[in-house]
Amino acid sequence: MTNSAVRMTGVVKRFPGVIANDGVNFEVLKGEVHALLGENGAGKSTLSNILTGLYRPDEGSIDLDGTPVSFSSPKAALDAGIGMVHQHFRLVEPFTVAENVILGNPQTAFVIDTDSTVERVADLARRYDMAVDPNAKIWQLSVGEQQRVEILKVLYRGAGVLILDEPTAVLTPIEAEALFKTLRAMTAEGRTVIFISHKLDEVMSVSDRITVLRGGRTVGTVATRDTSTRELAGMMVGRSVEFSRATRRNPGDPGDVVLSLTDVSCEDDRGREALHGIDVTIGRGEIVGVAGVAGNGQRELAEVIAGMRTFTSGRILVGDKPLANGRARSAIADGVAHVPEDRLHTGLAAGHSVEDNIALKNYRTPLLSRFGMLKRNVITSQACDLVTRYDVKTPDTATPVRLLSGGNVQKVLLAREFSTKPKVLIAASPTRGLDVGAIETVRQRLVEAADDGVGILLICEDLEEIMSLADRIVVMYEGRLVADMPAVGATREQLGLLMGGATPETSQ
Amino acid sequence: MSKRLSKKWLPLAVTVALGVGLVACGDDDSSSSDDTTATADTTATADTTATADTTAAPVDSAAPAPSADWAANFTPWEGSKPVACGPEEGQPLKAAWVYVGPINDGGWTQTHDEGRQAVQTHFGDKVETTYKENVPEGEQVGQVIEDLIADGNTVIFGTSFGFQDAFVAAAEKHPDVCFEFATGFKSAPNLSQYYGAAEDTDYLAGMAAGAATKVGKIGYLASFGIPEVVRGINAFTLGARAVNPDATVKIAWVNSWFDPPVERKQAEALVTAGVDVLGMKGVDSPATGDAAKAAGIPWAGYNRDNSANYGDVWLTGTQYHWDVYEIPRLQQVLDGTWTAGNYHGTIADGFVDMSTYGDLVSEETRTKIEAKKAELAANTGGQFTGPIIDNSGKEQLAAGKQHTYGELMAMQYLVEGVDGEIPAG
Amino acid sequence: MRSPVRLERRLTQPRWLNSAIPVFSLMGALVVGAVVLLATGKNPLDVYWRILDRGFLSQRAVTGTLRTATPLAFTGMCAAAAFRLGVINIGGEGQLYIGAVGAALVGLWIGGSAPVGITIIVMVLAGMLFGAMYASIVGVLRSQFNTNEIITSLMMNYVAGIVLNYLIFNSRSYWRDPRSVGFPSGKPLEKRTFWPTYEVFSTSVSFGFLLAIAAAIVLWVVYKRSRLGFEIGIIADSPRAARYVGIRTKWTIVAVTAMSGALAGLGGTSQVGDFAHYLDAKGLQLNNFGYTGIVVAALARLNPLGAILVAVLMGGLTNAGYSLQGPDFPSGLVGTLQGLILFTAVAGEILTKYRLRSNRNAVKAVAV
Repeated sequence: MTNSAVRMTGVVKRFPGVIANDGVNFEVLKGEVHALLGENGAGKSTLSNILTGLYRPDEGSIDLDGTPVSFSSPKAALDAGIGMVHQHFRLVEPFTVAENVILGNPQTAFVIDTDSTVERVADLARRYDMAVDPNAKIWQLSVGEQQRVEILKVLYRGAGVLILDEPTAVLTPIEAEALFKTLRAMTAEGRTVIFISHKLDEVMSVSDRITVLRGGRTVGTVATRDTSTRELAGMMVGRSVEFSRATRRNPGDPGDVVLSLTDVSCEDDRGREALHGIDVTIGRGEIVGVAGVAGNGQRELAEVIAGMRTFTSGRILVGDKPLANGRARSAIADGVAHVPEDRLHTGLAAGHSVEDNIALKNYRTPLLSRFGMLKRNVITSQACDLVTRYDVKTPDTATPVRLLSGGNVQKVLLAREFSTKPKVLIAASPTRGLDVGAIETVRQRLVEAADDGVGILLICEDLEEIMSLADRIVVMYEGRLVADMPAVGATREQLGLLMGGATPETSQ
Repeated sequence: MSKRLSKKWLPLAVTVALGVGLVACGDDDSSSSDDTTATADTTATADTTATADTTAAPVDSAAPAPSADWAANFTPWEGSKPVACGPEEGQPLKAAWVYVGPINDGGWTQTHDEGRQAVQTHFGDKVETTYKENVPEGEQVGQVIEDLIADGNTVIFGTSFGFQDAFVAAAEKHPDVCFEFATGFKSAPNLSQYYGAAEDTDYLAGMAAGAATKVGKIGYLASFGIPEVVRGINAFTLGARAVNPDATVKIAWVNSWFDPPVERKQAEALVTAGVDVLGMKGVDSPATGDAAKAAGIPWAGYNRDNSANYGDVWLTGTQYHWDVYEIPRLQQVLDGTWTAGNYHGTIADGFVDMSTYGDLVSEETRTKIEAKKAELAANTGGQFTGPIIDNSGKEQLAAGKQHTYGELMAMQYLVEGVDGEIPAG
Repeated sequence: MRSPVRLERRLTQPRWLNSAIPVFSLMGALVVGAVVLLATGKNPLDVYWRILDRGFLSQRAVTGTLRTATPLAFTGMCAAAAFRLGVINIGGEGQLYIGAVGAALVGLWIGGSAPVGITIIVMVLAGMLFGAMYASIVGVLRSQFNTNEIITSLMMNYVAGIVLNYLIFNSRSYWRDPRSVGFPSGKPLEKRTFWPTYEVFSTSVSFGFLLAIAAAIVLWVVYKRSRLGFEIGIIADSPRAARYVGIRTKWTIVAVTAMSGALAGLGGTSQVGDFAHYLDAKGLQLNNFGYTGIVVAALARLNPLGAILVAVLMGGLTNAGYSLQGPDFPSGLVGTLQGLILFTAVAGEILTKYRLRSNRNAVKAVAV
């Protein structure tokens, strides 16, 4: 095929314990916007890192304009005309736009001719309809403008193939529109754009063709005009397979509410609103699954309930008691347990011993301390007890948790959280990265807790886990809950559409 | 974040700490290494002074021979008795010097060490000298003295004002050891004070500076606003105005005896303020000379003859000859006649003198200075003869009167023509 | 272009290493030092014997070593206390000055009238309070505005130095002796405020040194047994975990910085109460107690009891250094020896946390 810009054939990339790309075939034509679609962990990033020379494939080949290539470094890929615009910008803040554009460019002379550089950068920006002042300093620019600088950097180097990694994640809708126009202008000139995304609507509107990855394999490549969001969602999450629902000793009681959020909003670490008016309730013994692609506000939701983050509006009740805003200690005291996504460095202090970590939430109680001094022997005996009950494999309770295996780390965390006799448990990706046996154990513990009446908010990207454990499923998209449905009867396809931002109406 | 910080920053912090520490204790390492060769193996040989530093011209050839004996300037404390701090029969007398700066500071401490070397040369194997350099003021001094006594030293010289309390305490504790202290004021049965009339030679240096200035503004670095330094400033100013009645002297306080970077900065600030000659008093290093060199303007030094190293800017300056006092005193120890008292050396006994005149000092000025020098040799402190008006316009000394020794030792005003004031006067 | 060996972090630190490494590094330092000494024509055994004798063995030497060690023990604990939390307080120098200012103030004020015991207690409290207040400025700036405490604490050292100079040299302050003839100096405290010294085996041990030992024990207990120590450990290990369990990180930063400053302040107080008996503006500034304390803390691995030990070693080494110096032993060579011993000690310290690995065998490990 003479029209091929990039062709990757049978690409395999293994990491210890994971096969990130398992025989991926991927072909991009000259002058098209080609979307690479898939959930987190589907292998999109690995594939683009191979294409840009950051990783070398274990198997498979890459052809560029019909000739086989092998990149030893990102620089080699750039020299061959493949440029990447990363999600996290790599700009020097105190420098101007023009300076950033020429930075690291081998064609840049030792003595920089500022005027001509500025002129060339300005020309380039005008040609692709990107409004940015070449003399502005980076720190003065908005996020959208900074992204334009990243694109200019790649264009300045003469890249024929541009890879954009989730470019709209940081943009406002208007900025996204402007970006799409720019991409169109570039393809009109014969450049090729690879657009990595998990958002169905925007993929539909910007791309010519779409390749869907799932679990490190190519599901298929379709022409955009011949497909629908529905079909894409199905490709992305897979056809419904039979899975076993966990058996419950005591079904939950949605009527006896243990946690309720009313119109809760909050900001993320950079001060942008991350949650927009969340309403959700959890009943006694109920497991509510939160489905969604990572980065849509799940972390902020967990943190707000756990008292680690202040909410800017709304109200949270634990049982019928209002939760103190942004006070982790009172959330703990009120019966909110929390298994955070980052177990080792948020949920635990990795350098500390098993017994210290087990005492982390109740060391201030009279049981474990008096007059500001700790009762070390009680701390040790408490830990010994829980280590036995939860079958944690550790040489002794003085061993630092960073030396334990992933499964045992999670057991320590769960042992501590359940030992506080919580009303509510927030569990974020509780089985991620664990081996099969540990996954089974953790799921078993969650179900047992629910049977004992704990209301559980299960935040998870793994649809299978949510569908097998949850009683109810809510879907998060861009800081909003876009759906709330019983787990029985929910389909992967339906959830995939919602997670990709398709509106409930179109998904029905 | 904090954890990472601590790991990443800890080495940095240690480095900063060491760095700051080193800056403070200065060029000791670098500087003492270059005279290692000079002092390490030739300590007791006769030609040390000559080989170690040829720039040191101990006595200016033009100067008249000392006309008086040192003893004329020495007053025993009331009721003081001889202290037997001499050596056992057949053993050498062990004497030690404690310095605040490095022995090659190009100024105060180096002059003292040249005195020590002259002592060593004079006595040969009858006396064994040693020294401790870079000893910080404060608690360390007492420890260093104890250590020296443990080593068998029975005469100990102290050369920095801040050592005084430690010396007094040690003198009380060790009545059989003789202590000699430069520039202090406290007394003890076995502790002497020694210093001299540098204000006489400061006056003469002022004359050279007054003749050298074209704009009539002289910059002057001074360490602390204490009588010793204030006398120097006043004498220098009177000398400058004796040859150039409109000259003014602008003061910059360093607040330290030895801090070359600060000295240099202050001197540069004076140059920026428009002075065209630099002088100094009570500052130990020749950093002011470096600033003068950089600005290409004349410099009147202090402590030590720096004519060789700073030839193109050198005028002259007060030069100390500590051995004038130290040699006869150690002889007294050997003879068993050492008593504690106060010594105030003069031009007459050769304790203070002018260092070599630079090429910038004209023949005419030299003649004037030499004439005045002879006058001051006969009448120390004669430059402080009334009427003297201070720089606030008040008369401090009536016409025809001369300041007494006591008044000189407690001087706390600045004469007319000084641009500056005594801190917290 | 890879180096043949590389450092690899140890997962655990075997206990035997903790004692073996210092011994080996000291031996290494002595061997390297011997080469230097031989090259300059000295007999290493004589020199080492003199260091041992004048630093640590002879009766008077121990007295002097403890005197020199006392302020270093305090500033060492000051640095260690803050570093444990990940707050790099290098302001021990200035906090020590300010502590001395506080202690001298109280000593001058009530020293003549109040009972001796009360005076000493109030001096100790005032020194701690002044040091703590001064340090807490750094703590507040760090916790409220995320200011880099390395910069602020360093700058505050210069400010404290200027304050000292102002009080003694540039003003007629309460601290300045109005009778000081010639050179301005601090007003002397009444004799009865002098801190006691105790004769132990004909070695004088100052009250300040005993205070340092007491402070070290208290600090050690705080770290090992108290809730605050537990929280400090968690914050240092993982700030996110601290936020997760609701530890008041900002408050703790201020509290610990204040505690750190109180320790340095005690160092200054001991200088006034034990030794100088007046506010010695020059003496306090010329010795770099605070900066040396950072080295002490690092060598002591932030352990307060270790800080006492290291301070004594440093004190002995300092005094022995002056003892070695003389016409035939230039201070540059003394500095080289001291530097060698410290350097190897720090280098050895790295080996307790990391191990040397040949890069040939390591290639596989890199991929994992």
